[in-house]
Amino acid sequence: MPIDRDTMIEVIDVNKEYRMAGAIIHALVDVNLSIKSGDFVMIQGPTGCGKSTLLNVMSGLDLPDSGKVILDGENIARAKEDRLSRLRRQKVGFVFQDYNLISTLTAMENIEALLWPTVLSSKEIENRAIAALRDVEMLERKDHYPVEMSGGEKQRVALARAIVSKPRIIFGDEVSGNLDPESETMIMELLKKINEEYETTILIVTHRESVVKYGNVVVKMDKGRIKSVK
Amino acid sequence: MKFRLWKKAVRMSMRERKTFIVFTLMYTVLIFMTSFFMESVIEEFLANNLTFTSVVPLLVVILAAIFLTLLYAWIIVRRNRKIWATLKCIGWTKGNVTQLILGYIFFTTLMGLFIMVEFLFHWVAILGYIQAEYVPGAPVSGLPLIKLWAVLFTILIFLLVQFIGYMGARGRITKVRPMLALKRVGE
Repeated sequence: MPIDRDTMIEVIDVNKEYRMAGAIIHALVDVNLSIKSGDFVMIQGPTGCGKSTLLNVMSGLDLPDSGKVILDGENIARAKEDRLSRLRRQKVGFVFQDYNLISTLTAMENIEALLWPTVLSSKEIENRAIAALRDVEMLERKDHYPVEMSGGEKQRVALARAIVSKPRIIFGDEVSGNLDPESETMIMELLKKINEEYETTILIVTHRESVVKYGNVVVKMDKGRIKSVK
Repeated sequence: MKFRLWKKAVRMSMRERKTFIVFTLMYTVLIFMTSFFMESVIEEFLANNLTFTSVVPLLVVILAAIFLTLLYAWIIVRRNRKIWATLKCIGWTKGNVTQLILGYIFFTTLMGLFIMVEFLFHWVAILGYIQAEYVPGAPVSGLPLIKLWAVLFTILIFLLVQFIGYMGARGRITKVRPMLALKRVGE
């Protein structure tokens, strides 16, 4: 099948099962999905519908049992772990619900950490981290530790970490799940800005109706299947 | 790049103050005991008096050092599983993560060595000072607590033990799946 250059991710006939307490759970059933470069995608559905599994499979965190996942032109469905790690470093950014910042590192160091294993010079890493912190309006807090920040501020630092490597796509798992409405708006506005300014593809898994309006593509899932794409 | 990860490991291990201090002190004691028993074993060997019972204490402390290194690697991996999962998730390879953990262990061992060598130097300095004051002209050859070659031999053994720590950390890091980073607190 020829790959459309404008397609960021192509999920083809993907199936994924889990065994839990002896029972087989069909997390993804014959899933097909195509996401264009520059899309802002919201994946919605009830708890246990398979949306997080789909995010794991699309980002190379988990492998499908069958089918193909083409990320930016490369089939990652059977890639080795280290190859997937490098691919994520080069092309993918992550934002987590629990922020996942390292408590013993400052905001600046948390962002730089993504680039430590690269061949970039320390000065270049510092410059990139400063630019990312400026983008999320957190430059004045660069020397603060996570414990000294609010939830919204931590998520902004996590967002800066996600963009520091200039990824082609950012995956977010319930990014506003732990935030108050004001912080949620700020984070979603920042994601929208990143999507528009850098043409970064954004893919967010959420169950919150309040954030769905930010996406230009809304994928609804239920029982491991895609119900609709609008 | 590799040197950068070592540098970061030094900074991160020192910020985990309690663990760092406890393990540094344990390493210091073990290194001291290894040097002490090493000296007596080698002296007995050179004098053709070596028996199995005199080797046992040295073997015990070397095994304790291996156990301590593996325990430290296990604690670092176990306590910070979500951190390692996050780093793997955002693009670190398992080799990168293992290198950072090895940096923790290696730096702690080096600090243990440094403290012990400082202690030995100060011991001689203090005794030499008192001796010079009250027993002028007495020989100073008996002042060192442990001979230098025994200390150097011990350093070599502890460097080799790091390799076991590396293998232990690598095995455990492989089991930390990057997907763990997406698990919510309490899940």
